[in-house]
Amino acid sequence: MQAMNPSVLVVDRVTKRFAGHLAVDALSLEVPRGVIYGLLGPNGAGKTTTIRMMLDIYEPDEGVVRVFGTEGGGREHSARIGYLPEERGLYPKMRVLDVLVFLAEAKGVARRTARQKALDWLERLGLADWRLRKVNELSKGMQQKVQFISALLHDPELAVLDEPFSGLDPVNAQVMKDAVLELKQRGATILFSTHIMEQAERLCDHVCIIAKGTKRLDDTLGRVKETYGGRHVTVAFDGARGGAEGVFADRRLVAKTDDFGHYAELELASGADAQNLLRALVASEARLARFELTAPSLHKIFIDLVGAEAARADVVPEGHAAHA
Amino acid sequence: MRKVLAIVRREFVERVRTKWFWVSALLGPVFFGALIFFPLLFAGGGSSKRIVLVDDTQSSFGARVADSLDSSGVFKVLRRVTPRPGLLDSLALEVRGRRLDGFLIVTDATVDSGVAEYRSSNVSSLRDIGTLKDVVGRIAVNIRLERAGVSPEVVHQAQLPLALETRKISGSTTTGESSGQSFTLAYAMAILLFMAIAVYGVNVMSSVLEEKTNRVVEVLISSLRPFQLMVGKVLGVGAVSLFQFAIWAVSAVLILRHRTPAGGGMPAADADRTPFELPHVSFGTVAIFGTYFVGGFLLYSAMFAAVGAMSSSEQEARQAQQPVIFVLMIAYVSIWALSGNPDSAYAMTISFVPFTAPIAMPVRWAASIVPGVQLFGSLALLVVGIVAVSWVASRIYRVGILVTGRRPSLKDLLRWVREA
Repeated sequence: MQAMNPSVLVVDRVTKRFAGHLAVDALSLEVPRGVIYGLLGPNGAGKTTTIRMMLDIYEPDEGVVRVFGTEGGGREHSARIGYLPEERGLYPKMRVLDVLVFLAEAKGVARRTARQKALDWLERLGLADWRLRKVNELSKGMQQKVQFISALLHDPELAVLDEPFSGLDPVNAQVMKDAVLELKQRGATILFSTHIMEQAERLCDHVCIIAKGTKRLDDTLGRVKETYGGRHVTVAFDGARGGAEGVFADRRLVAKTDDFGHYAELELASGADAQNLLRALVASEARLARFELTAPSLHKIFIDLVGAEAARADVVPEGHAAHA
Repeated sequence: MRKVLAIVRREFVERVRTKWFWVSALLGPVFFGALIFFPLLFAGGGSSKRIVLVDDTQSSFGARVADSLDSSGVFKVLRRVTPRPGLLDSLALEVRGRRLDGFLIVTDATVDSGVAEYRSSNVSSLRDIGTLKDVVGRIAVNIRLERAGVSPEVVHQAQLPLALETRKISGSTTTGESSGQSFTLAYAMAILLFMAIAVYGVNVMSSVLEEKTNRVVEVLISSLRPFQLMVGKVLGVGAVSLFQFAIWAVSAVLILRHRTPAGGGMPAADADRTPFELPHVSFGTVAIFGTYFVGGFLLYSAMFAAVGAMSSSEQEARQAQQPVIFVLMIAYVSIWALSGNPDSAYAMTISFVPFTAPIAMPVRWAASIVPGVQLFGSLALLVVGIVAVSWVASRIYRVGILVTGRRPSLKDLLRWVREA
């Protein structure tokens, strides 16, 4: 199966402009079947625009999108795709169950199936008693649950989740994460976008980092870590930091420092030996709780790749670019 | 197709579930009922007016007027009095105290000059004044003829009452629709069409706007094409409006069927004197009305859908809908000119232009004879108009529905239509 058609979703040299502003620039990527694929990038990188082109919400100016092997966006396959948009919304005056059934029907799911699955999901997420209430009678957290039921209700083969964790309270974030992992176990493919690297690092099999509409990195998480790993040390302090500052500043040992106070991520200077660094730290009378040769966090890789750009304020917030 | 059906169903079910729908469904017939009963109760079937006849004549004129008024059923002459000082003031006092509705003053001069005087708290009732003129005038003529030596029998025979029956000729058939009824019907149809197109068109607009502002539209557009979504919406709201009409029609028929018993024992003989005549509505008229309503609704709701899509808030939409409402108003305010002169060049023109035809053509149809060629021509143009407007509207809709922020200029809209 995988050998036959390994990629569920292919984006091939796709470009999208909004009135002179280049949102996505000849971007190509492939999402293999059965993985959790992270589309990462700072705000305004073109994540949402790319996702919208995958789903036929926007038409690309150039290039093609292929979903499940056929050319064109996901609309024709809407019954096999779950989509959670970045900007959430439901009909506030509709009953919870009716909204879920309607959104599934609009995707092409049979009414009876949609109803049964909606009831199962509401039961599972503890909302069964609310099924006949109007959406606007629900708390914000409950509405979030209803929203992601609406995206995942029909057991999609491909789930496209745009910033799925943004705005979720920790409990719902956990529910969401469990739902995503369960979906994956059933063989579904999940593409999600985020600008929060910790989430991506915990969930993704494959990451693609984009910035300013172009691709900066596209590989499995394992290979990314390998490529960028080996030269990194995490140091954690047990109280006193002693003269650690001085050691970190020594460019013969340390090339870069990302200091969090209680701990720091260091990149070794070229040719430097980690053992020398350890010796220097001990000599500086810093009390160490941890000294570990690590792969860098995705966060660090991300900052190294796009940090400088992201810090500049010339990014256009997505979703507002369309009218420009 | 199933997807479009889901949209249609949601629009229909969610709307029919609202209180607003049932309030207007129930108030509609109440409104119809009021339209029919109030004129009957207050003008037609009301009790006769109590008046006093101030008789300043030396002949039998006063007595004959009093008898004749009494037997008209419209007036009840409480007493006939001869004038004395202060009489008129005291009668006026009685009128003010509502013990009396009015008083009629006749003199010997009335017979020769034809001048009499009626003082009342209400002198605007066409029925009252008509009856008075009729009775006083007829008896004055009688007396003059008798004075000239014509025998009373001849006078009586000469007074053949004239009843002018009017029948509207529609194509080759003569219908039961009378001239007064034609106008009533045309007027009622115009109001109903205008209201229905405006109200349900705006419903389409707010439905589009709702999906846009609460962002549901993004999920929907990933599932169906914008055109499918728009079509589903228009059909769903249209179905609601037809359902509403059906409720009204059924209750109107029920009310009309039970009209006489509910009228409060109104004498059957009075029926032909009621100022409000119920129009006889032929099947053809209903079909024309229905066809043009559906056509007008499709045309305007496509425009309203585009207006909803290009707006980002209720306020913006209210402004953007003005041109659409304005076009609809042109047809509506034309109904006076139309029903008065349904065959003028102006009337012909606006019954062909797709934007005004949905109101103008049914009005012309009800008020006059419309050649079949014109009817089909108008319908054909309307269909062309619907297709063209939907095409433009769906392009504006397709782009606009995903755009938030700054309100689009006319230039933006043209670009959307070109590029979509």
